[in-house]
Amino acid sequence: MKKKVNLKIGSYAFLMPALIIYVSVIVIPVFYSLYISLFKWNGIGAMEFVGLSNYINLFLNDSIFLTALKNNIIWILLTLLVTMTTALGLAVMLNKKFKGRTFFRGFFYFPCVIAPIAVSIIWRWIYNPSVGFINEFARLIGLDFSQSWLSDPKVSIYAVFVAALWQALGQPMILFLAGLQGVSIEVLEASLIDGANGTKQFFLITVPLLKETFVIVIATLIVAAMKVFDVVQGLTGGGPNNATQMLSTYMYSQTFTYNNVGVGTAISCIMVVIMMLVIVPYVSFTAKDD
Amino acid sequence: MLKLRKFISLMLVSLMLVPLLLTGCGSGNGETSKNVGGTGTSETAGKTGTSGKTSITFWNLSTRQEALDPIVEAFNAANDDVEVVVSYYDTDGIKDACKVAASSGTLPNMWFNWGGSLGGFYADNGATYDLTGYAEDNNWPDVFTSGSLDLCTFDGKLSGYPTAYNVLNVYYRKDIFEKYDLEVPKTFEEFEEVCAALKENGVTPISTAGLNGWHVMRFVELLVEYYAGEDLHDKLSAFDESWDNQYVVQALAKYQEFCEKGYFPEGFVTANPDDTRLAMMTGECAMDIQGQWYDGQILSDGGDLSLFGTFALPVGGTDRVSAFVEMAQFNAGNSDAELEACIRFMDYYLSDENVEQYADYYNLPLPKIGSEASAEYINIPDIMETAETNGTFTITDQAFPAEVADGLFNVQDALANGQMTPEEGAAAIGAAVEAYQNK
Repeated sequence: MKKKVNLKIGSYAFLMPALIIYVSVIVIPVFYSLYISLFKWNGIGAMEFVGLSNYINLFLNDSIFLTALKNNIIWILLTLLVTMTTALGLAVMLNKKFKGRTFFRGFFYFPCVIAPIAVSIIWRWIYNPSVGFINEFARLIGLDFSQSWLSDPKVSIYAVFVAALWQALGQPMILFLAGLQGVSIEVLEASLIDGANGTKQFFLITVPLLKETFVIVIATLIVAAMKVFDVVQGLTGGGPNNATQMLSTYMYSQTFTYNNVGVGTAISCIMVVIMMLVIVPYVSFTAKDD
Repeated sequence: MLKLRKFISLMLVSLMLVPLLLTGCGSGNGETSKNVGGTGTSETAGKTGTSGKTSITFWNLSTRQEALDPIVEAFNAANDDVEVVVSYYDTDGIKDACKVAASSGTLPNMWFNWGGSLGGFYADNGATYDLTGYAEDNNWPDVFTSGSLDLCTFDGKLSGYPTAYNVLNVYYRKDIFEKYDLEVPKTFEEFEEVCAALKENGVTPISTAGLNGWHVMRFVELLVEYYAGEDLHDKLSAFDESWDNQYVVQALAKYQEFCEKGYFPEGFVTANPDDTRLAMMTGECAMDIQGQWYDGQILSDGGDLSLFGTFALPVGGTDRVSAFVEMAQFNAGNSDAELEACIRFMDYYLSDENVEQYADYYNLPLPKIGSEASAEYINIPDIMETAETNGTFTITDQAFPAEVADGLFNVQDALANGQMTPEEGAAAIGAAVEAYQNK
């Protein structure tokens, strides 16, 4: 009995250093951010309590915030529709046995290890209207085609998304690949004997068995979509005329460029709430069957 | 029991995701810094240690590191009573670091900054040492140029030690002008004719890039100077007059006309300002509005400086050019010993021997009376003389607070993409000014 108590104390003692760091550099700042968001503050001077004014002004009087919010929603949808499905498709292909499979796994995962700011530099040159790869390639194959990919407000957000997609595919692909390797071959074989074709087998057997993987992939992709920053900042800085403005880039501008620390932290709190509204019901719903 | 477990699981997931989001946006520009020149680990204001040494901390740009490291080392070796500890940040990193430090009362003893609204922010909030008395006692007006001291002064308080005084002019490719038999324009109409002739010959007249707005702004502010005139432009910059007026509309209309005529590179709206040099080097573009530091950049890029000349854009009046200052700001909380140590180091940093040895890392000429740049920088004397004779105005992104400047940059983008009329643009800038004033 005494040994058990000692073991418990020992376990807590080992957890304490990490807990202290976590509480002091993460938990307290998070709640302090919430507190600051109720004030008008430039970061140095006196703090003036304004209640929920920062939040109200953002939603009622700030068109740039609403643009950023809309862009983040577009980004989340694109992430779920394009990034997740492409990553799943690649994982399914790379889960099959073929020559060079290891090379292609590394090949598709590789962009994931590149720093986002480097990704933006690479894609800046790919999109360059004069000497960029895309327009040059179009000219090479005889197309009379030229497009200012990043400067045109109608396409800029999608152009930035493609650059981000190139980098973002690796992580969900690896997670799906790990999930697929956990799918029992016996179950798949049984489904074939029962008459399921490839499509039925995928949607009725494989996908349901990847439920846990989907939970973690969707949660991490939504978080990544909400906090997308580096690629946008590097490629367009939120422009042209806020066409690619995101909540994170606008939060950065408000906090560090405009010295509106209260407004900036209010945006970060809104980001958290939006993310919770999406993720918590989803996790709750998927946990129901367990 | 199961419900409780589910609830706890959800709470744990939520708690896990909150910091992921809040901390996720923090990574990025200039978070890495490096201390050199001392044994201290503190990046904030130093203090007199038990050894009797006054330790001072200095935050500067990483682009100066090659020169600053050996200078600090030499200074520390030669001064037994002072130890300088320097940390480096990139351009945006130092802005962020200083703001975070200011909000937590941990600013270093001195830090690099720009003039205008960037440096003024710390002065306005009482974070910088008021050097007015010190400057008078030590005859700074006889040492530094009046223009640089003026741009370091906020509300009558001298809030920085000037380290550079930058003036912008139009750099042009002399060989391209000669090839198409073009003269340096003496009037704005002639400038437009030059642009038209260049375009006809397949050369993009003006190299510019709109990422972050400020490079395009260099041309737009000259258009405002041309249409509004000197007095009104100064009043507009000081927010003493509304930007929603006919002269601003005319300036914005001319900018939009230039965009439509293709006088700027394709896709310039989100192009990186660093890339404007490439277009000038290759001869794709013929003109670029740059400061006197451009001479050094051309040489560093391996370019032929003799191909480049400069002129002030003929914008009427005295053809004023824009200017801005760089400085070291000192912590308001510095003790007398720390202030003396800071200034002793800055005097050493800007001494003739160091400037001569590390010339490429200074924006020459120094803002000191009688200071000259090296003879290899052939355009600098003309640029500085132009500033002296024509006069200067404060560059717009330093005259404006950042959020108003961003309002202008958004208008520039919208005009270039045809999303806005000049009238709507002028109204939008006016609204940004009003929103700032009512904040």
